[in-house]
This record gives sequence, structure tokens and C-alpha cells, in this order.
Amino acid sequence: MLLDYDRLGWLRAALAGFTALVAAFLLLPVVFIVLLSFGSSRWLAFPPPGWTLKWYQELLADPAWIDAALTSAKIAAMAAILAVLIGLLASFSLVRGEFRGRQFLRGLLLTPMVLPVVVFAIAIYAFFLRIGLAGTTIGFVIAHTILALPFAIVPIATALEGFDKSIEDAAIVCGASPLQARLRITLPSIRIGIFSAAIFSFLASWDEVVVAIFMASPTLQTLPVKIWGSLRADLSPVVAAASSLLVGLTLALMIVTALLRRRLSR
Amino acid sequence: MQAHSLSRGSVAGLPAGSGGALPALVLVGLFFVVPVVALLLRSVTDPEPGLQNYAALFGSGTYVRVFLNTFLVAAVVTVVTILVAFPVAWMLAIMPPALGSIVFGIIILSMWTNLLTRTYAWMVLLQRTGVINRALMGLGVIDEPLPLINNLTGVTIGMVYIMLPFMILPLVGTLRAIDPMTLRAAALCGASPLQAFRRILLPLSLPGIAAGGLMVFVMSLGYFVTPALLGGTSNTMLAEMIAQTVQSLLNWGLGSAAAFVLLAVTMVLYAIQLRMVGARRLAGGL
Amino acid sequence: MTRPFLSIRAVRKAFGAFVAVHDVTIDVPKGEFLTFLGPSGSGKSTTLYAIAGFQDPTAGDVLLEDKSLLSVPSHKRNIGMVFQRYTLFPHLSVAENVAFPLRVRRRPDAEVKRKVADMLALVRLEKFAERYPGALSGGQQQRVALARALAYDPPILLMDEPLSALDKKLRQEIQAEIRRIHRETGVTILYVTHDQEEALHLSDRIALFKEGRIEQIGTGEDLYLRPASEFVAGFIGNSNFLAAEHLETENGVALVRLADGSIVKGVKATHALGRGQKARLMVRPEAFRLTPMEGNAALAVEIVDTAFFGDRRRVVARTKSGDEIDVRPTSDTAEPGGADAASGRQIFFDPATAFLFPA
Repeated sequence: MLLDYDRLGWLRAALAGFTALVAAFLLLPVVFIVLLSFGSSRWLAFPPPGWTLKWYQELLADPAWIDAALTSAKIAAMAAILAVLIGLLASFSLVRGEFRGRQFLRGLLLTPMVLPVVVFAIAIYAFFLRIGLAGTTIGFVIAHTILALPFAIVPIATALEGFDKSIEDAAIVCGASPLQARLRITLPSIRIGIFSAAIFSFLASWDEVVVAIFMASPTLQTLPVKIWGSLRADLSPVVAAASSLLVGLTLALMIVTALLRRRLSR
Repeated sequence: MQAHSLSRGSVAGLPAGSGGALPALVLVGLFFVVPVVALLLRSVTDPEPGLQNYAALFGSGTYVRVFLNTFLVAAVVTVVTILVAFPVAWMLAIMPPALGSIVFGIIILSMWTNLLTRTYAWMVLLQRTGVINRALMGLGVIDEPLPLINNLTGVTIGMVYIMLPFMILPLVGTLRAIDPMTLRAAALCGASPLQAFRRILLPLSLPGIAAGGLMVFVMSLGYFVTPALLGGTSNTMLAEMIAQTVQSLLNWGLGSAAAFVLLAVTMVLYAIQLRMVGARRLAGGL
Repeated sequence: MTRPFLSIRAVRKAFGAFVAVHDVTIDVPKGEFLTFLGPSGSGKSTTLYAIAGFQDPTAGDVLLEDKSLLSVPSHKRNIGMVFQRYTLFPHLSVAENVAFPLRVRRRPDAEVKRKVADMLALVRLEKFAERYPGALSGGQQQRVALARALAYDPPILLMDEPLSALDKKLRQEIQAEIRRIHRETGVTILYVTHDQEEALHLSDRIALFKEGRIEQIGTGEDLYLRPASEFVAGFIGNSNFLAAEHLETENGVALVRLADGSIVKGVKATHALGRGQKARLMVRPEAFRLTPMEGNAALAVEIVDTAFFGDRRRVVARTKSGDEIDVRPTSDTAEPGGADAASGRQIFFDPATAFLFPA
């Protein structure tokens, strides 16, 4: 009866109450930061003495913030495209291939997800210093593509495993060439996985701090590096404004994802 | 089904179906394996060949304290995360989907929100004059502000916050996979709710708890951002120490040795976890 | 003799040391409905895959109108196929699914439209043209798959256990549908199944596979009434096997002694057996009678169980030597048991309907 919602008795009230508390705990910082960004206190007093938009004006007037956001968007978009393309090819091998070492390869390609980022960060930083890629956009994109790759492979490989290969065979028997069958039948069928891969790998780069801190140069800063710098210096409300915009972006991304998933999974 | 393939022929002598993995293999090999191996080599060659970096690492009270502190924080975070996540996952596994989707939405929103944003919020919330201290004082619970930041408390709150989704989501899967019939049967057999929990529900969800807990522990061990911002100077964690050693002290040898220790511990635990749940389930849980 | 339409010549398929198909040879005339029947792992699907081009045979050849198919890649073989699982393209509507093979062949729009309408009419799903596969039942999905496979008028239609995912009632419905479509289109069909009833219901001819070889090929009647081996007799229809000893054969008629010592005369001798050789006597359940007729052999049994099904009766009997026998008399409705039930009783069969196989 412990797994019957209608038969839990008092335990249900207790569990529901606790769940509500945890949900509030999870929501608290997100809501708090948005409210804070409209508060007029420079010292982040809460509840604020008044409401204002001046932190947003300050944020949008500062080219350093805009540059950082554009840099982040550019790097994340490139890393996501690369990760999805490379991950798509790799997923076909990992799921369909019959060769020795397939499991090992799967483990290797997923390792960047479990290895502590700081280890990879100093390793790639040292490596890029030596080959002259440190502080370059290409270096950033390469490093972030590595980190994003597992987040692209996992949803695509999962979708591909759930896709019945006889459907592809059926297309080929119908007269489609193997390439045509993949492009016209298999890819559209696993599009939810590909779409998730794109979102996850974009976020993996967009939110990445540790590698970025090492790779950044005075002329090349991503948004997280800029926020990191501000946090270490002072707790300016401008960071709250930037953070609120990021929360807004997350919400927008979630809504788009939900809508697209609904449309795609007809 | 019988194994058959319509895409016959392999790419230039490569084993069947492996060609597609080539770009990924080159990328990961060149820009992941090579740099990491080079870094590890550096721990025994920089500034001169030998094990002096490891001797320095394990010989110094400061560094040993960092190791112990890292394990302590990771362990505390893991235990608290499990205790908080289990009831939530339990509720989510059985509650009506309409209501549950709101909670799932909140979990996803929290998980997808920029890491620095969340940590920044906690920095402001937990500071001496922050909302939480002021609220507690206003309610008369405390007279003096509690030290909630730049110490173990701050790190634990911030880390548990970040780890909760990683524990709740897989655990919901584990709990949903348990047939409610088994618990009905337990009740008919005469088990009280407590007995049914201890003897049926908990053992059946243990694999999920163990797998999720191990993942949280491994992630916590190498975490950098949150401890650096919410922790104090007296309880530096390993990742932060590695970054500082390399970035501020420019002591690459020592930093590499510490990185190797972190990597070795992580990989051993990762291997244990793979053995426990299998690569597919692990990947599917994310 | 006319040249065969489709010719499978000594096809052999080995996976390493394991030989899945041993030199299978079959000629299929145009328009025939031929079923590959057999237990799983008997090589029937592997043979089908060789025709579809999913697997290259290790040796042998597959000829369609005298031209070898082996060097032709699957997508150029112009063969229709319906799979075990519903292989509809999930992101395309029913009409787009049926249109797919025509689109990859770059047929003009008007033709595609007309053909799709024809095909959906053929499988009676006109109303579902704009639905997506996810909104269809299993039976409907399989009918769409059939329409898709026939849309480009392939000379051969392969069907790989197409009904195995459906429940019994639906299976029977679609079987009728398949028969109708075969009649209306005249397409040559190669059909794989492990269900003997399905095979008997649908096929012109059945090729019964065992361990990678064709055990017997012929019409359903051939296989049922003239099984070439104990395996065929056991696989097609229901059968009882009684341990026997061959005493002698004269003029094609054998004399055998059963395990309980009784003698049966007048059994057709289809296999050459030596004097005193161990053998097995096969009697169909429906060949048994509860009351004797002229020339019947009698078997002393004990009645273990009896069940009444309205149109027939089913009796489980046990011989003196302990073999259980399935008895389903059709021609009389006499109560088993009766007056001599206590002392055991006899059941009867016409020896001419029994088969004798070497043990």
C-alpha cells in the first residue's frame, strides 16, 4: 500500500508536505534572484526599500556584459552543432556497430561527463598553452565540444536504441538507398533525441565555468567567466539582473522544449 | 531478432560499423586523452623526474587536510541528498501526473538554471545580513546571525541544492519500476507500514539509492564552483586546491599530482558504479 | 517444363561454423502463395533474408526470371516485404507511408496519389489516410504495411511472421484479408511462420523447414495426409505416436506389434523397415473411434479424462504401456467409459490412416 497514492493515509500528507518544502527550497534561489534584480538596494537588502530597473540599464549599457553574452552564445552554438554532428555519427556506431571494443569506446566517449571538470580544465589548458590554442575561440569550442559530446551521445544513442531497425530495413526494401533511409526515415524518427542532444550540449557549453576560467583571456570572456569575476569582486546587483535574464532564458528554453516535444511526439 | 545488416561493407578495412565513431574518437583522443595523460606524466616529471610531488602531497598536513575535508563534504552532501531526495522521489513516483508535473517543472528549472546564478543566490541568501538570518532573527529563533556561509554549512546547502535533481530523477525511475502489488501483498501478509517500508520498499529501492548516491558522491568530490564560492578558507576542497596550485602558485607538478589522485578516486568509483548499474542504465538516468 | 518464376538454388548460409541453411532449393511459380514453416531457428527466416538481401548466402543463388538477385542491393531488388513488427515510419501519415516507396522512385505526383488511394482501398483503410501510425491498432498498422509493400507492384511479396504480434482473433481476420489480397493482386507471396494452422489456412504450398533443411514441400494436404517423416507428421496437425516393432511388410502393407503386445495389420508401409526393427506408429487424434468398424484395429486403454466441446469430444486415454493418447473422435458421439469402463475399454482406428516411421 506504500505505493498506492490513495491508500497512504497520514503518510501521504507528510510526504506531500515534505515534497512541497523541497520544491520551495528548489524554487527559492531562482525566485529570489529575480526579485532581487528589481530591488533598489545596492547592498542587496531584502525585502528591498523600493523597486527599480536601473540594474538592467546598467547591465545593458555595459559592452563587456553584451560581449560576454555574445561570445558565450557563439561558442555554445558551435560546440552544440559539432557535438550533435559528431555524436550522431558516433551513436550509430555505438548502437549498430559490431566490432570489438564497442563497450570500451562507449565508456571512453562518456568519460568527459564523469571526469572532474577541473582535471580536464588544467589538462586542456596546459595542452593549449603548448600548441597555441589557449585563449582562442577555436580552443574554447574544442574544449566545450569534448564536454558536450556525452550530453549529445546519451540522448541520441538512447533514441536510436529505442528505434526499431526493421523500420529502416523496410524503407530500404521499399526502394530507398541506405543513405536515403537514414536521412528520410531514421533521423526524423529519432528527432526528439537529436533535439534533446542539441539543448543539452548547448547548455553544457553555455553554463560551463571551470574550463572557461582557465581558457579566458582579457579579450575573450564568456558570460560565466564575467559573472565569476563579478562574484569574486563584489555582490553587485548587476549580477542579479544578468542572472535573472539567464533564468528567463532557461524558462524560455523549457517552454520551447515542452512545446516541441509535444509536437514531435505525435 | 536475428542479426542482419543492410549497410554492408566496412570503411577502409575498419571493423563493421565503427567508421562513424572515428571523428569522435579522434576528437576525444587528441583533445581529451592526450592532454590528460600528458598532465599525469607531468606529475612525475615536473620539476624533475621522481615522485617528489606525491611525497609533498601526502607528506604535508595542509594537503592531507584538504583530502579529508573533500571526502567529508562529499559524504555529508551525499547523505543529506539521499535523505531529502527519497521522500520527494517517493511522492513523485505515485502522485497524480498533473500535480507531479509541477514539481518536475520546478526540478528541471532549478537544474537548468545557470550554476553561477544559483550559487550567487545562495551567497546572498546565506550571508550574515541575508534573508535567512534576518527571518530567523525576526521570528525570534536566534538572537545572533548564524554563520551560514564560508563554512561547511554553506557548502552543504549549496551542494545539496545542486545535487538534488541528480538524485531525485533516477530514484523516481527506480520507485516507479516497483510493482505496487508487492506492497499490497506485504500489507495482506500482515506487515505494518513501517515493516513494509523497511523490509520491502527500502530493499527494492536500494539499487537506485546506491547508484544515485555514488554518482552524487563522485560529482561532489570534484566540484569546484560551489565550494569555492560558499566554502571557507579553512575547508578548501580538492578541486579548488588543484586550480589554485596551478593558477596562482604555478606549481604544475603538484597540481598534476593532486589531479591524478582525484582522477584515480573518481575512476575507481565510476567503475564500481558501472559494475552496479551498467553503462546503459547509468547513461539513461541522466 | 516452363522456367520457374523465382528460383532458390542450393542456398547455403553459414555463420562461422554454424550452418543455418543447408543447400535449400525451391522453385516458385508466378502467383504462388508459398509458406516457409518451421520451428524457430530452422532456417526459414534466414532463407527469406537471403531473398530480401539482408544477408548474403554463403553459397547458392537466387534467380528471379532467370536473373540473379544476389548482386542487386536490397533497395534495388524491387521486392515487397511485411515485417514481424509494425515497421511503419512513425513520423509519416498512413498515406505518406504508402507513398514512400513511390516517392523514392520519383513517380509523378498524380500517379502517387492514385496508387495510394488504390492501395488504401485494397486494405480498406481509406478513412485513415491522414492518421499517424501511433493512432492505429496493431491490425491496422500491419494492413498499412501491406499496402506500402504492394504500392510499387513488386513481383514478389515477402512476409516475415507478419501476424505474430497480433492476438488470435485479429490474426484470423487478417489471414482472410491476406487471402483476399493475394487473390485480387495475383502477387507471388513467400510467407514465413511457425504456426502450422496459419500455414495450412493461407498457402498453396508449404515448405517445412527443420534444422536448416527442407523436410518436405507440398500442399497442406500432402503434408497432412502423406507426411514424409515423423517430424512432418508431428509438426502438421495433432498426432499420437505409439512405440511399435515392425514384423514384416508384404505388398506395401506392414504388420506391426505394439508395446502392449497387440498386433496391428494393414498399415501402409512408406518406409523400408527391417524385420524386428523398432518403429513408431502415428495415429491422428481424429482417426480414433469409440465404436469399432469393419477392419479396425483395437487398442486397450484406460480413460484418464474426457471433455465435451459441443461439436466434438476430447478424450485422454492411457495405453497398457503407459503412453497417453489424445483422442478426438469426429464420426461418433458415443460416451466413453460406459459398461466396460471399470475393466478398461478399447478404442479403435483404421490402420490405413496410420503411418509407420522408423524409430
